[in-house]
Amino acid sequence: MKKSCIAMLLAGGQGSRLYALTQDVAKPSVPFGGKYRIIDFPLSNCANSGIDTVGVLTQYRPLQLNSYIGTGQPWDLDVSDGGVYILPPYQKQDEKGSWFTGTANAIYQNIAFIENYNPENVLILSGDHIYKMDYADMLREHLAHDCALTIAVQQVSMEEATRMGMMNVGEDGYVYEFEEKPKHPRSDLASMGVYIFNWEKLRAYLIADENDPNSGKDFGHNIIPAMLANGEKLWPYRFEGYWRDVGTITSLWDANMDMLSTTLINLYDPAWPISSRSPVCPPTYVGEDARIVHSIITEGCEIDGHVENSVLSASVIVERGAKVVYSVLMPGTVVKAGATVEYAILGENTVIEAGAVVGTAPDGTDGWGVATCGPNVTVPAGKVIPAGAMIYSGEEG
Amino acid sequence: MSKYHGIIFAYSDAPELGDLTRERTVASLPFCGRYRLIDFALSSMKNAGITDVGVIMARDYQSLLDHIGSGKDWDMSRRSGGLRMLPPFGLPHAHSGNYAGTVEALNAVAPYIRDIPQDHIVLMLGSLLANIDLSAAIAQHEAGGAEITAICSEGSSVGVNHHYLVDDDGFVNGIHLYRGDSAKGLKSLEGYIIHKNVLLRMMDEAAARNHYAFHRHAMLNFLEDGGRMDVYRHEGYVCAIRNIEQYYRASMDMLDAEKRRQIFPTSRPVRTKTHEEVSSYLGEHAVIKNSLIADNCIIDGEIENCIVFSGCRIGAGTKLKNSIIMRGVTVGENAELSYVISDKYASFSDNTRLNGNAKLPMVVPKRAAI
Repeated sequence: MKKSCIAMLLAGGQGSRLYALTQDVAKPSVPFGGKYRIIDFPLSNCANSGIDTVGVLTQYRPLQLNSYIGTGQPWDLDVSDGGVYILPPYQKQDEKGSWFTGTANAIYQNIAFIENYNPENVLILSGDHIYKMDYADMLREHLAHDCALTIAVQQVSMEEATRMGMMNVGEDGYVYEFEEKPKHPRSDLASMGVYIFNWEKLRAYLIADENDPNSGKDFGHNIIPAMLANGEKLWPYRFEGYWRDVGTITSLWDANMDMLSTTLINLYDPAWPISSRSPVCPPTYVGEDARIVHSIITEGCEIDGHVENSVLSASVIVERGAKVVYSVLMPGTVVKAGATVEYAILGENTVIEAGAVVGTAPDGTDGWGVATCGPNVTVPAGKVIPAGAMIYSGEEG
Repeated sequence: MSKYHGIIFAYSDAPELGDLTRERTVASLPFCGRYRLIDFALSSMKNAGITDVGVIMARDYQSLLDHIGSGKDWDMSRRSGGLRMLPPFGLPHAHSGNYAGTVEALNAVAPYIRDIPQDHIVLMLGSLLANIDLSAAIAQHEAGGAEITAICSEGSSVGVNHHYLVDDDGFVNGIHLYRGDSAKGLKSLEGYIIHKNVLLRMMDEAAARNHYAFHRHAMLNFLEDGGRMDVYRHEGYVCAIRNIEQYYRASMDMLDAEKRRQIFPTSRPVRTKTHEEVSSYLGEHAVIKNSLIADNCIIDGEIENCIVFSGCRIGAGTKLKNSIIMRGVTVGENAELSYVISDKYASFSDNTRLNGNAKLPMVVPKRAAI
């Protein structure tokens, strides 16, 4: 059966700008917003949009991602004619196996997978964006404008525009030019890295691009400019909802803090659930002397200390007299008695021993930043971790 | 495949639970923020590697079916074997509508029992609140050489019906039926490890004599005929919930760290149906003390000594004390509730005042709007 649209999710990036948090895991499987991992957002968007076939392209430390996605059951993607598939690089006949050398090459190497489903269109997604988007609506616009490619775009400030891929749009509403990080932006429409391609056209461009030895095999740098140069029709799909790239420590922290506001992004809307795979834990116990204000908590926590403006994942322990402020605590972290965690991100199963201090409030100096501890780090009792520090697992605090 | 097959009794109703079991069996009574009582029996079996399980039910089982589904949350959705829900195949006419006793329930599904491929069967109550280490019980059963091993508790266990007296060798030589909490002997948790043929023989004899009760008839006959019954002593919290006061007390007991650890040990996790959920948000005015809070809640009020299930909305200025608030309940602003058990999806408007009592908590039925 021919499918109208299938999705390919680019989850292969190392996420090197998340440093210690992606030391052992791929960026899409970094915990986010209490209950989730980053990849839950695009996967849930697919399921909610009626896209039931998703290829997940992985190559950097995929073990956790593989077991997390499993059969796709938490996202209702365990269907018989479709489903969610992990697609690592593999060896083909008469050639050496090779890594994905760019975003376009990753799709090129999986042409056979896509052909299995014989789709009319292919949705290309990133594994590091937090947003709720109805791809079915985008597909309707794509079909209505009869174009080779529809790119989701968002209005940004001129200052932000200098750091993003910008779409210059003509009077007819179609995109005539794509500029990566322009010094002098001529448009305020930034690409969100969400593309719907007509599959027949995309396949032709992927093959041509693969045969071009000078190409970087990248959608933004090679495929899209080539399509524009050939006069293909490109339509900008304007998206006005919440959308954040969480590729850096600061943006990851910021986006977590955004989850404290239901006006920015409402995760409680039953019509658009973001689903996740999470172990069953008893409800969170909040003790006699605990104080929790303006925060997110997840099941399995034991809170006896003070938690404010923070996001707590499952099974976090905050002991008596401990203080957690403006911080993101990933699953299984322990903050022992009298310890202070301020403006920090603590990776999975991090232990902050009694009386230790991690991070400080902003002081206006250039050196300030969010303090980060990677997974399984133990910060010894009494130790002080300064603002902006990056502690890797293996280092002892 | 495990050598053991599980049978869970989920047919019992308890009139003393009133509105809480009007539309559900005791086994599907919501407990501790996100669970149903039957989760404990299902999880005990799953944690012992038993995934071929039959659940015997008689009536009011819609909520039970909805909760258990295919059994996939307990890894019991299997191509061969797995979970089987066993509704009545047809009761004798002029029947009360429920099984008069355990043997009658077993005989009603006798074809299923006969076709069980395993030689050994574990029987458990679907309404018992306990996290039983069935692997340890099975190991003891296999080492001991008795035909039946009964799962018992030595400690305080509320709501237990029967007691076992044991001889010097540790085998059961007497049963005290319906003597209440104060009776002597080991408290029966009505869980048994039994050879399939022994069980079938007991069922046949009972059917021939028109007997329906397991303990009063079948078990006493078994002992009189010289049958050997060993006991496995379960350590840890136990409650056989049969009335509202027991339900309330068992719920509040989960606020105690040690009791909570006994019911939810990390080595034997309790599984339940997973819902689409999101973390809970505690707002600017939230003050929470000594309470259990499940996921998907938005709370801006004051909560003390409460169990709050998933999906609740608690407005600013509202005070909840000593209460159990089940899934999807909405409480407006400036309301005050104490000693209330609110069933699912009830709603309380702004400024509502409701007070129950520790001995008689006020039960608000499912979907009630106050």
